Amino acid sequence: MKRSGSTPKRKMNYMVKVYSWNYLFILPGVILLFLFAYIPMFGVQIAFKDYKIYTGIWQSPWVGFKHFSFFSDSYFWFTVRNTIILTLYRTVINFPAPIILALMINEVRNEKFKRVIQSTTYLPHFISWVVVAYMFNSMLALDTGVVNNLRQLLGGQQVNFMGEVKYFRSIIVFSGLWKSVGWSTIIYLAALSAIDPQQHEAAIIDGANRLARIWYINIPGIMPTIAIILILSMPSILSAGYEQILPFVNPTNMEVSCVLDIYLIRLGLTQAQYSVASAIGLVTALLSLFLILGSNYAVKKMGQGGLW
Amino acid sequence: MAISKEDKIFNCVNYTVLLIIALLCLYPFIYMLALSLNSGRDTLRGGITIYPRDFTLANYGAILRDKLILSAYKITILRTIIGTISNVFITALVAYGLSEQRLPGRKYIMIYMVIPMFFGGGLIPYYLVLREYRLLNTFWVYIIPGLFSIWNCIVMKTSFQGIPQSLKESMRIDGANELQIFFKVIFPLSLPMFAAISLFVAVGHWNDWFTGAYFVQKTELVPVQTYLQMIMTRDMRAFLEKDLAVKMSQELMGKDLTDYSKITSFSLRIAAVLVGTLPILFVYPFLQKYFVKGVLIGSIKG
Repeated sequence: MKRSGSTPKRKMNYMVKVYSWNYLFILPGVILLFLFAYIPMFGVQIAFKDYKIYTGIWQSPWVGFKHFSFFSDSYFWFTVRNTIILTLYRTVINFPAPIILALMINEVRNEKFKRVIQSTTYLPHFISWVVVAYMFNSMLALDTGVVNNLRQLLGGQQVNFMGEVKYFRSIIVFSGLWKSVGWSTIIYLAALSAIDPQQHEAAIIDGANRLARIWYINIPGIMPTIAIILILSMPSILSAGYEQILPFVNPTNMEVSCVLDIYLIRLGLTQAQYSVASAIGLVTALLSLFLILGSNYAVKKMGQGGLW
Repeated sequence: MAISKEDKIFNCVNYTVLLIIALLCLYPFIYMLALSLNSGRDTLRGGITIYPRDFTLANYGAILRDKLILSAYKITILRTIIGTISNVFITALVAYGLSEQRLPGRKYIMIYMVIPMFFGGGLIPYYLVLREYRLLNTFWVYIIPGLFSIWNCIVMKTSFQGIPQSLKESMRIDGANELQIFFKVIFPLSLPMFAAISLFVAVGHWNDWFTGAYFVQKTELVPVQTYLQMIMTRDMRAFLEKDLAVKMSQELMGKDLTDYSKITSFSLRIAAVLVGTLPILFVYPFLQKYFVKGVLIGSIKG
C-alpha cells in the first residue's frame, strides 16, 4: 500500500492509533508464539550445553559440539537409514495415490455418488493413530484377523504380519495411505475445479477422449498444486511421524521401526539424554529447512511457481 | 451430447474402482464394530468379518465400568471443549487483527508468524520449556501450548479479507468497537468457516494421545486416546508400572459380572477403542459438509 503525505511519521502515528485495536487482538498470538515456538527455538542451545535439570536451559554450561558426536555413532546412521527407507517408500505410494484418486473422483458426473465417495474416503482422517494401529493389529492378527481368515479360506497359509519384521514398513505405509488418501484429495479436487471448462469443450470438439483430456488438460492443470504439495512434503523425508509409528512399535520390530523420531524420543524423553537428543533434533530441523528451501528453488527453476 | 461406448466403459471402471476404495475405507470400522459386539471367547475362533456371530453387549458393559476410562473420558471432553473454544477465539481475534491490509507492520508480523512453520526447536527443547513453565503434569498442558494455531490463523485471515470493508466501516461510524464488529459482523458471516476450523481443532484434541503419554504422569489426567495406547502395549507406556489390562480384569472380577466368561482382554480393548471413536463417528455425518468448505478457504491462497 502506497502512503501519501509529506509527513510519513505523523501519518504512521495516526495509523498506529487507528489500528490499536488490531494490535491488541494480535498481541496474544505474538506472545503465545514467542512462548511456545520461539523460546523452544532458542532452547535448542542445550544441544551445545551440558543440560542439568537443576540449572535449566539457560544456566547450564556451554560445551561446544560435544553432543554432536552422534555423527560417528553407527546406531544413529542405522536410524537414519530406517527413516529414509520408510519415508521414500511412503512417498512413492502415498504421494501419487491422492492425485490419482482426485482425478478419478473428478470424472464422476453423478453428484450424489461423488458426495458419498468423498464422505467415506475422508472418514479415516478423523481417527486417531492409536485407533488406526488397533484396527490394523486386529485385521492382520494370526488366527482371528480377517485378512488371515480370508487367506485360509482361499487355501493360503497364514502370515504373521505383526510379528515379522519385513511387513512393518508396508503396514506403516498402507495404514498411512488408508488414513490420508481421501483427505489429501481435497486440495487436488479444488485445483481441478478451477480448470477452465472451455479447455475441455475445445478438446472434445477436437475429438479427445476422457483419458486424453485427463492427461493433457487435468494433470497439467493441477501441476502447480502438485509441485507445492511436493515441496511441503519434503521435510517428512526426515520425519517418519512418531504419532503414527509409536503405537506400532514393539520390541520384535525394533530393527526396522527404530526411525529417527523414535530414537529421539527414546533418548530424550525416556532416557533423559536431553542434550544429545536436542542435537539430533537440531540437525534434523536444519536439514528439513534446507530440503524445503532447496525443493522450492528447484520447482521454481522448472517454472512451476513454488511457495513464494 | 451422446455418450460414446468408450465413455461408458470408462465410467463403469471408474465407478467400480471408486466404490471398492470407499468400501475399503469403511471396512475397518465395520470390522471393529463387529468385534466389539461379539463375545470375546467366540472371537478367538476366528472368522468374524462384517457382523457379530455371538452378539453381546458385555464388552461395552465391562469397559464402561472401568474407572480409568471414565476419568479419561472426562479429561478428553474437558480438553476438547475448553481447548477448542479458547483456541478458535484467540486465533480468530489474531486473524481479524491481521486481516486489516493497511495495518502498519503487518508484513513483519506475518513473517514472525510464518517462521515457526518452517523451523522449530524440536521436541526436546519444547518439552524442557514446558517443564520450565511448570505445565508438565497439569491439565493445562493440553490447553495453553495449543491456544494459537498459525495455519488456522492464515486460513481465517484469508476468509476475513473477503468480507466487504464497507460493512465494518458502517459499524465503526455507528460507534461500535472492534470486538462488537467481530461478534456482530465477522463471526456470523464466517460461520461455515468457524464450524470447519472448530471441528478440526476439536478432532485434534480428541485424537491427541502423545501429550497425555509423555507430558503427563498422573493417571487421572490421561485422556482417552492415551488410555487406549496404554492398554495396547507394555514397553511404550512410559509411566505406568502396573499392567493395566491385568488391573482392569481384576477390577472386573470383583464386580461379579454374570457374563464375564464372554469377555477377553482383546474384546475389552476393542470395545474401549469403539468407545473412544464413536463420538467422532456420530458427529461426522452432520458436520462433514463443512469440512470441504473449510479446507477450500485455506487453499484459495495457494
